[in-house]
Amino acid sequence: MKIISRNLLLFAFLLLVYTLLFRFGLGALLTAELWTWVIIISVLYGAMIFFTAWTTGKRDGMENFLFDAGFRWNLTTFVVWGIASEAWFLLGLHSAYESIRVVHITLLIWSGFLLLHFILFLILRRRTIKGVHKTDIFE
Amino acid sequence: MTNVDKLHDELLGAWEETYKKGQLTLWIFLSLKEGPKYVSGLQESIQRFSRGTISAEDQSLYRTLRKFYHLKMVDFSAGKGHKGPDRKYYHLTPLGESLLHAFVERNILLFFEEPLRELLLNSSTTK
Repeated sequence: MKIISRNLLLFAFLLLVYTLLFRFGLGALLTAELWTWVIIISVLYGAMIFFTAWTTGKRDGMENFLFDAGFRWNLTTFVVWGIASEAWFLLGLHSAYESIRVVHITLLIWSGFLLLHFILFLILRRRTIKGVHKTDIFE
Repeated sequence: MTNVDKLHDELLGAWEETYKKGQLTLWIFLSLKEGPKYVSGLQESIQRFSRGTISAEDQSLYRTLRKFYHLKMVDFSAGKGHKGPDRKYYHLTPLGESLLHAFVERNILLFFEEPLRELLLNSSTTK
């Protein structure tokens, strides 16, 4: 049973790739003022993260059986997205339409939800024995 | 097959499906109580003990045993394989033995006592 499992690392890697591709595409589309495409790639980016998190999380549940109420995936998304986005601006790769304030506000709001998620995890952890959910122990 | 027979079979199938859920642990523990076993041996024992009514896939057993190992209910030691590499021979730990004992005493042995025993025997001979 691992906190940083193979599936979590795979998710983090794919998320980093998606985020870099998204940032690159977003900057280019904003500069070209192709607003409809901005919406399309944003939805696509969100859907790909959701699908990847769903599949890697499900597989991790089968292989690793560590109950965390999805908190590790949320935290990983927060960290990877935050670092990639901050780096994008620090390296000056952003378009004229993008502001680092949006990234900071997003991270601030997100950290509040992350805290709530962590509290939920702590509450649900009472239903586990050595990290395994009681209903998952006996089959 | 009449409609009543069909309904009977469907209901029996549905009941057995529900009944079997949660039973794998008992079959694993009973098989390991017989002696240390590797995964294929465990599968054979479960099939034999349950007269073929319970079967467990490899992956399901590996996953369950990993979980039980993490929770210190089973342990393993390396033993000789047939021709290939060493196998993991699983056995019950003292915690596993104690759990099996408590579970059987509280949930299984009552079926061997009157009047349940008599009722069960009557149920199996009358239809």
